[in-house]
Parts: sequence; C-alpha cells; structure tokens
Amino acid sequence: MYPVQLANRYLTSRIIPLIAVAAVALCVALVVIVVSVMSGFLDMLRASGRTLMGDVVITNPIRGIPWYGQLIETIEQLPQAQAATPLIDTYGLVRMPYPEGSEKEVVTTNVWGIDPSSFNRVTDFSNALYWKPPTSPQAAAAMLPDDPRLKLSDKILNDGLNVIKSDTGEPGLVLGIHVSIVNERRRDGSYIPRYSQWFMPLQSVTLTLVPISTKGTIAEPRERVFPVVNEFKSGVYQIDKNRVMISLDEAQKLLRLDAGTLYDMQAPPNADGTLPVLGTSPAKVHKVLVRAKPGVTPEELKAAVIGAYEKFALDVEFDPSKVVKAPRIGNLTIMTWEQQLRDLIAPVEKEREMMRILFSIVYLVCAGLVLSIFWAIVQEKTRDVGILRSVGASRFGILWIFLQYGLVIGAIGGLCGVGLGWLVIHNINFIHETIGQDAPAWSYVASFIIAAISFAMSVRGLTTGVLLSTLLWLVLGITITLVGIGLTLHHGTLIWDPSVYYFATIPDKVDWFTAITTWCGAVIFSVLGASIPAAKAADIHPVRALRYE
Amino acid sequence: MSNFLLEAKNLCKTYTLGRVKVPVLRGASFTLAQGEWVAILGSSGSGKSTLLHLLGLLDECDADSGGVWFDGNPVADLKFSARNAYRNQSVGFVFQFYHLLPELSVLENALLPNMVNAGMSWVSKRAQAQQHATELLDAFGLSHRLTHKPAELSGGERQRVAIARALANQPRVLLADEPTGNLDTKTGGEILDLIAAKHRKGLSIAMVTHDPAVAARADRVVKLVDGRVAGERD
Repeated sequence: MYPVQLANRYLTSRIIPLIAVAAVALCVALVVIVVSVMSGFLDMLRASGRTLMGDVVITNPIRGIPWYGQLIETIEQLPQAQAATPLIDTYGLVRMPYPEGSEKEVVTTNVWGIDPSSFNRVTDFSNALYWKPPTSPQAAAAMLPDDPRLKLSDKILNDGLNVIKSDTGEPGLVLGIHVSIVNERRRDGSYIPRYSQWFMPLQSVTLTLVPISTKGTIAEPRERVFPVVNEFKSGVYQIDKNRVMISLDEAQKLLRLDAGTLYDMQAPPNADGTLPVLGTSPAKVHKVLVRAKPGVTPEELKAAVIGAYEKFALDVEFDPSKVVKAPRIGNLTIMTWEQQLRDLIAPVEKEREMMRILFSIVYLVCAGLVLSIFWAIVQEKTRDVGILRSVGASRFGILWIFLQYGLVIGAIGGLCGVGLGWLVIHNINFIHETIGQDAPAWSYVASFIIAAISFAMSVRGLTTGVLLSTLLWLVLGITITLVGIGLTLHHGTLIWDPSVYYFATIPDKVDWFTAITTWCGAVIFSVLGASIPAAKAADIHPVRALRYE
Repeated sequence: MSNFLLEAKNLCKTYTLGRVKVPVLRGASFTLAQGEWVAILGSSGSGKSTLLHLLGLLDECDADSGGVWFDGNPVADLKFSARNAYRNQSVGFVFQFYHLLPELSVLENALLPNMVNAGMSWVSKRAQAQQHATELLDAFGLSHRLTHKPAELSGGERQRVAIARALANQPRVLLADEPTGNLDTKTGGEILDLIAAKHRKGLSIAMVTHDPAVAARADRVVKLVDGRVAGERD
C-alpha cells in the first residue's frame, strides 16, 4: 500500500508532476486535433461522395448508355437496389447575370442533367437544396433575423426539386451555392446575397453545352436561357463551386442525346432523297446512379448490378426491335462510389496514416519528458529510497512507486489532452474564423496594459532586490508585449482555404478511436519513460542512498 | 547454538573509491545479548556505522569475511524477501539525521514499517497499526504533532518520530546510528532517556556514537579503532 500512498504524495506535493501532466496533455491534444481533423475531412468526403452519387455508378462517358429506362427497371428489380436514376454528366459554360452592362461573367461548370424524381430517391437532393423555408419554428428561431430563407415559401423548394419554374412552366436550373459570387457565407454557416438584386433564384442564366459525337468530334454548341430555380449546397466546396443541374430532357436535347430516328448512312437514298430508316435511336445518358437498400454494402450492390447489366445487355442484344445495342460490360465501368472517388479519397487516407505515424513521435516525446522529469525526481528522492529500504521496502516496491507515478501522469495528462483536443475541435471553426479576422482593438490594448503592469512590477522587484521576481515579471512583460504587437499586426489569416480543402467548414468531430488509442499510447509511453528512472531507484544501494547529499 | 541475540564474527568490509580500495572493517566482531544495550564507540572513519549497517543487513560484508547471526541463525544467506522482512520486523533503525519522509505526516512516518509489512492487507490492518503508532507517539510527547510534516518539527521531535518509526513493528533490536549526534545536549539527553526507557522494557540496543558520555549510558561499550575492536568495557 505504501507505493500508492507515496506516489500520491509525490504527485500532490510538488509542481514538477503538473509540468509533466501539462506536457503529456499538450502532446496528446496535438495528435487528437490533427488526426480528428484529417478523419473528419475523410468522413465528410465519403459522406458527400455517397450522398451525391448513390452507392454504385455505371458510367459510359461520350457514347452514353442507351435504353437506360430498361436498365433502371432491371436494376430496380434487384433485391439489393433501392432506386436508380439516369444522369447526364458534361461540361458547359454559364453566363451569369452580373455585373451590370453587357460584359457578363462566364463560368465553366460541370453540368448534371437529372431526372428530378428518381434523382431525389438515389441522392439526398432535397436536403442539398439550400433555399427553402425553415422546417420548424425552432429552425426558424435558430436563423439570423435577416436570413432570406425566413421569407421563402415551399414553392422555391418544389421548383428546385422539379428543376422547373412553376410560374411559367419553363425548365429551370439549379446552381451550386458557390457558383455565383453573390452568395456570402456568414459565421453561422448561412448565406446571404451580397447584392439583393442578384439573389440568384430571381435571375436567369445562359447555359452553353457542346455536343460530342460518338466519334469524339465536337458539334455546334447549343445554348439556352434557364431561370435559376434554386441553389444547392453539398458541403463539398469543389462541387458547390462548379456544378449546375438542369433536367435530364433539357440536357439530352442540348447534347443531342435525346431520342431520334436512326438512318442507314451506308444505303442509297430513297426516291424522295431521304435516307432509309433503320429504326429508333434511343435517348442516352452518361451514367446511372444506384442506391442500395439499407444493410446492403456498396460491394454487394455492385456485384448485383453487374449481373443485372449483363442480363439487360443480353435482352437488348436479342431484341430485334432495338437496332442500337447496349455497350458490352467490358466497355463501360461499374464502380462503387468509393472506387469512383478513389483518386480523391486515397491520398487523404494515406495522408492521415502518415500523420498518425509522424505524430507517433509524440509518444517518444511523452516518454522522454517523463524520463527526464523522473530522473530528476529519483535524484531528489534518493535518500527516501534508502529510508524505505531501511524499513524493509523491497526493490519491487520502490520500482512500483515510480511506475505508478508515471502511470498517473500518463493517464491524467492523456485525459486532459483528450479534453483539450475535444475543446479545440468542438470550436475549431470559431477559432478559425476568429484568426481570420482582424484582432479587436481591446485585445491589443489590454495586452499592452498588462505588459506595462508587468514591467512596473519588474522595476518594483528590482528596487526591493528580489531578482527572481524581477526576472519573472520582465519575462511576462516581454511576452505580453510581443503578443500585443502580434495582435496589432494581425489582419486575419485564412488557414483553411475551402478551394484547397474541398469543404467550406473544418471538420469538428473528435475521432474517438484516435483519442482513445492516443490516450493509451500516452499511458504506456509514460510508464515506459518512468521505468528507467524507477529501475534506477530500485537499484540504488541502501547505504549509498542514506548517505546521499 | 549461540547465546547472543545478534552476533557478528570477523566482519570485513572494503569500499572501492575509483581505483582505490578502502578497507573500513578489518575483522570486527560484535555480540549483543537479549535485552542488552551496547554502545559502539569510535572516532570518525573507524567503521562503526558500517558495522551497524552490516548488522542491519543494509550492506553486505566482503565475500571471504565472516558473517552475522540473529537469534543463532545466519542471516547472510537470506533471500531478498527475508532480508527485507528482517529489516522490517527484527531490527529498527534510528539515524543521526532522522531520515523522515518529508511528504508524509508524523503519524504516516511512524506507520511506514507497518505499511511495508502489511502490503495489500494494509486496509484491514490499518486501524490496529494506527492505534499502536498513536500510543507510541503519545508516549513520546508527540500527540499534538500527528498531522504535522517533519519540516514543522524541531530536531528532538524529529528524532522521536524516527524512534517511533523504528519501534513500529516492535523489533527485538534497535540499531541507532549517532541518535543524538545532531542534537543539543539537553535534547540529546531526552532522546537517550526515551531509548533507555525502551531498553528497560527489554529492547536490545546497538548504538553507534563517538561521544563517551553517550556511550556511558549503555550496558557495555565496544571500542572500534581502524575497523577492529580495540577493547570492551562494561
């Protein structure tokens, strides 16, 4: 029992263990914060990817997938599939309504042609639409008083969901929230138009698409004016900055992928000069997105979709009424959403693992800190070791005192570190935004006042002849002065650039797996760090310990 | 079978200081009968503290020298655990510089040997040990100091706590190394009175001193010169 009592007394009667606890806490907090942000980033990337793409994607760019309605029917009969939707995925130019004058801004965009009803069943489109009235009085109360959404009706949401301007029946267009430069993101994450006259859902834009033939040649570009019916926010900055959505029909028309008559180009013309008709050229899409039923993994769904596609391709092959056949399975790609986003996800995963490994060095820092602090403590407590041996304490008992000491420092330090990490992660966006703004005047004025007081105390210490007090106040004064100068010169630093990191906000969820493993690591390495001085203490010769000066 | 409670024969001890070997004990022998108080008198460097350390198994004598017997049994060959138990229960040490643990209170210092002895069963033995230690400290006039730290005590009070600690497990032998060496004459006298009181109740004492006046309180004086017993007198 005496090792427990002595370890407890050694811990509570001096300041050096507190320094060790603080050092371990900072090390653990560092790992928890860095890896949590990386993990959160990865999770956001995954969640957004799945939300926007469904679970499995069938892709045949340029040439397209014909008879996709039949394919979707086949897929939706699968027990693993919940829904499937066709998609046009291309690039185009959008002429924005601003600025004033004839020279309007033109942006390059990724254009998705969607079938609104099925698209909403496969993706989380309705939630992604940004402009909509609050769903409850509580949600309304949480919004800022000038939030434009407070004045909106369900009409704007329905228009967005149907990609249609219900007043006029015109086909509409949904912009990513960051495509327009008008939307300004505020601290609470909401958006407000910088200039109310350019509130995008009241505007029209001109979309230009370039049809590409099956041979890869470019045809005459086609353009059309679309009223903006809503804007969407996926959370992935790159998508919100670049993507616009229109209805599938409009996209097919603009890209000449809609249904038409198929003429025999090789045969001689008919008597009236027209070419002989071979049959119908079906409408085509570039992708089919498939959503899995709950409990079905993307891999399981992918295997089922491959089977369904083979069946569909065979059915089309042996259907004499269908002149245009479906591409063979080897000529298109069927991938899970994760495989589809592999290029994006894999480097982040690798970076996170690299971070974990690099920051594992923190464990060694913990061990080194505890070792050096304990070495000093054992040195100081040498005589105590002799005393304990003289009353019959065993070497193991001595060893256990210092190992417990390390255990407690690692456990408490690790716990404090996890707490600190949680606090920082929980408020990371607030901290980031605060750093991103000019320091308020009161902060540097207060710093300079505290610094002046510290210098005055230092002078007072000098006059009373207390050197330690003089020095401590002087160091504090210089430090606070430097902080004040730093705050004065600080004019906002953007650390998390959404255009680099995809997301507009920094992930603020703690990676608890990392937090727990880091805590365990801190405890283990603190005990390991303590073990060498502890063994040294146990090995001290009792007589030499008693005579130690 | 020896008649002595504690006996040492032909003890040699050599310390190595760098490349130099310094012989401290050169064949010293010593006996202590049950209930006897023996003073080991000698000047500084004569080997008297070393002899006490060897008697208390805090140190080991040279390989080819004699040995120590307690209650007729050789103690040199004892295993680690038995040597620890010997220091904990058979003998009690008192040092010149008190050697109290500064983080523990007076009562906790006095209970230290009990805690070491009890191990994991300390919780069940605590009440009884605490009662014994409190009585001992009360008898030494320290009842008002139980919760004080050693730094808050005078030299005499510290030495009384050290004696209470040495007697916590009711050992048969008290090994005292200059117990009054750091105290003024009056306080030293009070400490010797305490020790004498315990001796009268049957405690065997081996006490190292360089002060003939202190040695005079003992039943017998063994004089040590240059690591050898130079003479004895009653």
